[in-house]
Amino acid sequence: MQDTNKTIKTISDTSLIGKIGLYFKEKWNGIKDLVTNSNKKTMASFGIMGLGQLLNRQWGKGFIYLFIQIGAVFYFVFKGATDFIGLFTLGSVRSNPWEGITGDNSIIMLILGVLSVIFLIAYFMLYIANIKDAYNTQLRIEDGKLPRTLKEEIKDLLDKKFYKTTLFLPIIGVAVFNILPIVFMILIAFTNYGGVIVETGDLVDWVGLDNFKRILTLGQFSETFFKILGWNFIWAILSTSINYFAGLGLALLYNKKCVKGRAFWRGFPIIAFAVPGFITLLAFKFMFSYGGPINQMITGAGGTAIGFLDLDAGWTARMIGIFVNAWITIPSSMLLATGILTNLNNDIYEAAEIDGASLFQQFKSITLPYVLFATTPVLITQFIGNFNNFGIFYFLRGGLYIDGYFLASDTDLLINWLYNLSINNNYYSIGGSISLIIFIITSVISLAVYIMSPSYRQEDTYK
Amino acid sequence: MTSYNEVRRAKRKSIKWKKIPDTAITYTIILLVGFIFLFPVLWLILSSFSAQGSMYDFDGFFPKNYSLATYIKLFTDTAMYNYPKWFGNTLFIASMSCIIGTTLVVLTAYAVSRFNFSSRKKLMKVTLVLGMFPSFMGMIAVYLLMVQFGLVNNHWGLILIYSSGAPMGYLVQKGFFDTIPITIDEAATIDGANKFQIFIHILMPLSKPMLVYTALTSFTWPWSDFILPKLLLKQKDMYTVAVGLMSLGEDEFARFAAGSLFVAIPIIILYFFLSKYMISGLSSGAVKE
Repeated sequence: MQDTNKTIKTISDTSLIGKIGLYFKEKWNGIKDLVTNSNKKTMASFGIMGLGQLLNRQWGKGFIYLFIQIGAVFYFVFKGATDFIGLFTLGSVRSNPWEGITGDNSIIMLILGVLSVIFLIAYFMLYIANIKDAYNTQLRIEDGKLPRTLKEEIKDLLDKKFYKTTLFLPIIGVAVFNILPIVFMILIAFTNYGGVIVETGDLVDWVGLDNFKRILTLGQFSETFFKILGWNFIWAILSTSINYFAGLGLALLYNKKCVKGRAFWRGFPIIAFAVPGFITLLAFKFMFSYGGPINQMITGAGGTAIGFLDLDAGWTARMIGIFVNAWITIPSSMLLATGILTNLNNDIYEAAEIDGASLFQQFKSITLPYVLFATTPVLITQFIGNFNNFGIFYFLRGGLYIDGYFLASDTDLLINWLYNLSINNNYYSIGGSISLIIFIITSVISLAVYIMSPSYRQEDTYK
Repeated sequence: MTSYNEVRRAKRKSIKWKKIPDTAITYTIILLVGFIFLFPVLWLILSSFSAQGSMYDFDGFFPKNYSLATYIKLFTDTAMYNYPKWFGNTLFIASMSCIIGTTLVVLTAYAVSRFNFSSRKKLMKVTLVLGMFPSFMGMIAVYLLMVQFGLVNNHWGLILIYSSGAPMGYLVQKGFFDTIPITIDEAATIDGANKFQIFIHILMPLSKPMLVYTALTSFTWPWSDFILPKLLLKQKDMYTVAVGLMSLGEDEFARFAAGSLFVAIPIIILYFFLSKYMISGLSSGAVKE
């Protein structure tokens, strides 16, 4: 009997659903224990936050919780409840300037609705903390100890619970400026906010998966989407591998025994690395422009100026993009490879030389596997960075719209298209959907690469 | 014995002779690479000393006449392009974001590295997932929030966004804290120090190099960002250098070059001093938890 129990437990331990089930079971048991064991004072905190603490004569803490409770009730009665409902209706009063009716602003309602959900979660967490606190005090009293004073609690915030103090501001900042905007944009992806509605101020509605259907099935959006997606993959693969191997090559080159003054030679790529990206990109744009130096030299030699980055440039512009990106990124991947190569033991190479391995064999069987092993996570981030490389084509060919593309050009990546659609042309809902698609693509790729990578499969090989 | 040494010496010599073509090729490539990386920068430097200022008056890559006129114009002719003002704006935004952002990053990294609280793993996973979203996906919402807060056309709005985004990059700093042995903390605890004192008096002094690196990265982001300032700063006087330089055309090329140099040179100098830390910072992403 015991054995079967054990196997059941191991099965539920390994499968994800089992894990989630176990988690909730434990939580549920915890709550049951808490409810059955708590005394009247703790129960008072179930009813009104802080009451149990006050009954235990923990005045400071009790009043803080009570104050939060009162504030929360006021907020939800006067504002929170309507905001929360607004999240679902997104407004019902149409604006009508002729009759002097200012309608509901759906987008503000959406943000306030999300905010009310965040407040609700925060309130719920404080409520739980309040009960747990009362229960802990009860346990202390049952053990014959005194309830903790506010002073002791504050002291704890600088010691055992110092992490709460340090994480407070960062978490609020990230919640307001990272999570809230992302949640907002995810929600927008399921509405019809964009295009004409933005200008007329009409009511916004939930439309389910319509935007995704528009992007993925036939129509002007899907045609552009798949063209851009294809180029985006070519771009990411090509530029990541070029930059990665060129960086590794440079690092090996500077590491050669015959090179004197390595620090000096490495300085050149570091200069390139240090110049802020927008300056480099603008400079290259000037360099390849119609009146730029390259075209001046061509016309000076009697040729006609070439529109390297013009509407009809096509692959020329794409190659220039890859080159410029390489110029910007190779130095950093060189620095990275240099750092990793210094950790590689030289004895391995000497042993290989004695065994008669050629330089190429040494590279193939020692250097490459080692570097690949050490840099797989960085390689993933580089791939995703390139997949979402906004700057390159924004500066080189920003604002160009080409026939056959909807508000994009043939060098634009999905992220550029996203910018064109949402920031320049008010197609917010489509923009939100594209953001989600980009998110899904990048996370699936990085997960897959990570699981297949040697650093995940054989963790201890090089340790 | 002597003969053996002689043979060795001769052998070494022959190896040296064999290596000459290899060395020559290596140096050719090194020079070529150096040229490729230096040339655009050199081009910008020389262009900034152009006497005419417009790109159309250049002779190929380089100006026909050289003078300091552009630099004087850059700082005195401020009617159309108020470069000193832009520079001041950028410096203000970047330094404030650097101070606040670095503090927040360090606090986050410290908590995640040194405490084993219940939601620690969850927190790390959430930041990982958040990092997967395209960077300016939420830009519209940020803009709307800023309108609500009345912080459009206000440098503090940008500072707020930059500093609160900074904790997302806590991993590098956390990796560094992880390398400081926890036994130091334990010894201090026995001596009666609380976590706050340990953080201020022990961990901070020990992680100076990494602090410098973190500060540098949180300085360079606002220093060279162009997307947010372009979205949030509408008046020309409020511009940062990045937005301002973007508005310069080909006929103002020398002004662009000179302006860029003032932005780039401080960063380049910093990078050279800190390249050691840059490497460890770059590769720390490669170290698994």
